[in-house]
Amino acid sequence: MAVLTKSKAKELLDPDFMNRLDQLSLISRKIFAGKMRGERLTKRRGDSVEFADYRNYVAGDDLRHLDWNIYARLDRLFIKLFLQEEDLHVSVLLDVSKSMQWGEPDKSLYARRVAAAVAYIGLVNFDRVSLYGYANGLQYELAGVRGRRLMAKVIDFLTKIEYDGSGNLTATGKQFAIRHPQPGIALLLSDFIDKEGYEEGLRYLLARKYDIYALQILSPEEMEPELAGDLRLTDAEDADFAEVTVGRALMNRYKRNLEAYCGGLREFCTRRGINYMFTSTDVPFDQVVLSYFRRRGLLK
Amino acid sequence: MSFLSPSSIAIAAGITVPPLIALYFLKLKRNVRLVPSTLLWKKSVEDLHVNSPFQRLRSSLLLLLQLMILLLGALALGKPMFEVAQTHESTIILLVDRSASMAVMEADGRTRLEIAKDQAKQIIDGMDEDSRAMVIAFCDRASVVSSFDTDRDALKRKIESIEQTESASSLGEAMSLAEAYTQNIIIGSEEAGADRPPDSIAPPASVFVLTDGRVEDASTVTLQKFDLEKINVRRIGARQDNVGIVAMDARRNYETPEMLEVSATVENFGPQAVTLDAVLYVNGDTLDVQTVRIGAAAPAPEAAEPGGDREAREMDDAEPVHVVAFDNIEFGGGGVVEVVLHVDDALSADNRAWSIVQAPRHVRVLLVTNGNWFLSQVLGTLPLEFVTMTPDEYESSAESEIQEGDRSIFDVVMLDDHSTSRLPLGNYFFWGGVPQLEGVATGDLIENEVIFNWDETHPVLRYVAVETLFVYQWHRLSLPQDAVSIIDGQTSPVLGYLSRDGSHYMVSAFSVITHDDAGNPLLNTDWVTSLDFVVFMQNAVQFLSGSTSTEAKRSIVPGDPMTVPIPPNLDEVKIHRPDGVIDRVPAAGYDTIHYARTRRVGTYRLDPALPGHELFAVNLFNQVESAVAPSATLALGAGVVNAQAGSIQVNKAGWPFVLLALLAVLLLEWVVYNLRVFV
Repeated sequence: MAVLTKSKAKELLDPDFMNRLDQLSLISRKIFAGKMRGERLTKRRGDSVEFADYRNYVAGDDLRHLDWNIYARLDRLFIKLFLQEEDLHVSVLLDVSKSMQWGEPDKSLYARRVAAAVAYIGLVNFDRVSLYGYANGLQYELAGVRGRRLMAKVIDFLTKIEYDGSGNLTATGKQFAIRHPQPGIALLLSDFIDKEGYEEGLRYLLARKYDIYALQILSPEEMEPELAGDLRLTDAEDADFAEVTVGRALMNRYKRNLEAYCGGLREFCTRRGINYMFTSTDVPFDQVVLSYFRRRGLLK
Repeated sequence: MSFLSPSSIAIAAGITVPPLIALYFLKLKRNVRLVPSTLLWKKSVEDLHVNSPFQRLRSSLLLLLQLMILLLGALALGKPMFEVAQTHESTIILLVDRSASMAVMEADGRTRLEIAKDQAKQIIDGMDEDSRAMVIAFCDRASVVSSFDTDRDALKRKIESIEQTESASSLGEAMSLAEAYTQNIIIGSEEAGADRPPDSIAPPASVFVLTDGRVEDASTVTLQKFDLEKINVRRIGARQDNVGIVAMDARRNYETPEMLEVSATVENFGPQAVTLDAVLYVNGDTLDVQTVRIGAAAPAPEAAEPGGDREAREMDDAEPVHVVAFDNIEFGGGGVVEVVLHVDDALSADNRAWSIVQAPRHVRVLLVTNGNWFLSQVLGTLPLEFVTMTPDEYESSAESEIQEGDRSIFDVVMLDDHSTSRLPLGNYFFWGGVPQLEGVATGDLIENEVIFNWDETHPVLRYVAVETLFVYQWHRLSLPQDAVSIIDGQTSPVLGYLSRDGSHYMVSAFSVITHDDAGNPLLNTDWVTSLDFVVFMQNAVQFLSGSTSTEAKRSIVPGDPMTVPIPPNLDEVKIHRPDGVIDRVPAAGYDTIHYARTRRVGTYRLDPALPGHELFAVNLFNQVESAVAPSATLALGAGVVNAQAGSIQVNKAGWPFVLLALLAVLLLEWVVYNLRVFV
């Protein structure tokens, strides 16, 4: 599938959908401190209007924060403490291996739409959004964009990505964990069918205590392959081949293995607090964004 | 199972199986398909290899199925047979007995003819593809039901059309017909006027005779072309119990013609004594019933006794043959006399017999004489009607005065010292004269000879003391060889009897009265003065007239033609058959018609009723047919063939079943392939 051209940039997000995204914001189960004061509350004590706690008055405290009601009742001086507001790091890791250019509709387009939607939400809410494309390690990066006016940059980034190479989540996870120590939301958009396995890569991300969301995207052709007879199956990523004679038994076995693989991934994620979601490209992507992500707590 | 062409199997298998196996070992050309990842496909393939307990089998399932298809095809080419009967020639001839005894209903509810037809059809079904068969049905005559044909369905239809008859059976004509049909005769030659001897090519033939063996003339059959060993006799039937009427006589009492005397000879052919009622009907009215007990028949040496035991036969003092006599039946009219045996036995055709009796009348005698007091006196004492004519009157009388049609209107014409050639059909007694027939002549006068010999058992000499007969002179009498000499002199017959063309002639070499040289009458014998002469005259008149006056009209055996004289100006005669069918026989331009559709027993009524020929009776009266016990052997000409019982063992072609199996495996292979079974 060809790289999305500018003329098709609008197909990533149509205006109506973007209007709907304006109402949403990204949330995290874990509230992290950011570099700037964003629209997000942090557990740190700060100057926001959100009341957090009391402490005894000491000389030098801001007298505006005295709680006069308590003084009236207890004849003692207490200072109100407030939650500090700060920005949220949102990292979208997009699988750009060759296997993502598959299916009808194309998995890569699907993933980029989801990435664009999430990025837009983050930008609208002044979160710090970073986009990465990975195959055998991080290959594309758009880091630290903030604000709605930088959405064009995001679109440009997404449209210029070229899909190539084999997916290697282990290398990717390791690189990302090293280069981006600040916590935040990490959204992985991939098919997760990795010959090297997904476990180690996810562990690297877990070590940084990211709020990880894993969206596994498969095409209907992968789930219900229309293959039969004597075939030489060639791997799109590494040109590996398998000579098979596809019959009912093999097909059933493949489907069972696929289901087991996805189930294994789901179980791995669930055990480790990773939000796992599965979708097929025949599910409208806006449903994923507006419904799945909201149900899972990524959006509100 | 065996195979008629085993080499075909090897050839077909050798040609097809190795290439199929070789194909499976060649590298398959595979289509290339791009997939996102081969990870799970490889794992799946590996799982199937590890987990499948019958992997080795599954991997070659399609190969096995295709090998089976090829092998089944090769087997079909080998012409498998499930039951291999004795090998038959490619020419098959079926002779099916449809005589009266084949109407016996056997224990399974089928008649013997139906069993025979079923077996014939089985033989047809077992024919090879290149075989041909013909079917001949025989009873008293043989008829070709189907000439040689390879169409099995047509042959079976023709077999089914064979109808039961009540005739006796004759195998000779059937065999001759069969042999004739198997010959390919070339007659004539290219040379003008010359005939080459026929080149007869008789292909070897298997002959099947389906019969119960009750064939009268089997031992006289002469086989010209057929090999006795290739003749298979199938014994049909098992029942032995039968009682039948084998003879019947109905006659009027000579002295009191109004009284009827009927006798029926009943014979028991079964192994058990039988008690039955014999009922006499005259014109449908029951006139008499007699209960008779008839003993068991003596077992025939060749009779088949499946599971039987001679000691088990019922011992009975009664004889197996009994004559049921109905005497003093008062019946003054004419019509049908019927005797019916009320008995449940194997064959019903012989349980009834018919006889046609004419209305009673006195014997009519014509005495042709110039005056013979003695003859006139004696005839006048007898219970008869007689008229007298002189010889001149006789010779010059109109035809209507002495005959009707070609038959004399008199029961007996007695000619005193007169020879004549005017002899319409009838019965004649010549005193001194002779019928002017070939072989009959008188010669010189014999005097002073004594009566040397006589046949005292002859009916005309019953109660006659011939030893007292004295005749002065007689003419030497020459009679043909077929004549019977009743009284002989020393050098010449004195009284003789002959039959010629339906007429009967009693010829006496001497006249009662002779004449001297002056023409004076002289008594030539003193016999006329004795009582013996009266007895002799009564015997002679009764003997000569009995077939026309007191005896019933002779019955016809099934299959024999009825001969009916046709009066002028009659266009058609309708014959009402005993089966209810009315046959219309054209009669215009014919003096006589011969009606041969008489294979049913019973009475046949003519319409219009022609005098003397209103009714005909057809009776089985055949001991061979009535003895229904199937014969274990059949004597054919000089040889004897053992009759085989039981169902026919025929070649049952197996190739349809093999092909069916092949199609089933083919279907399975198609299903397996489409279900994408791993190979």
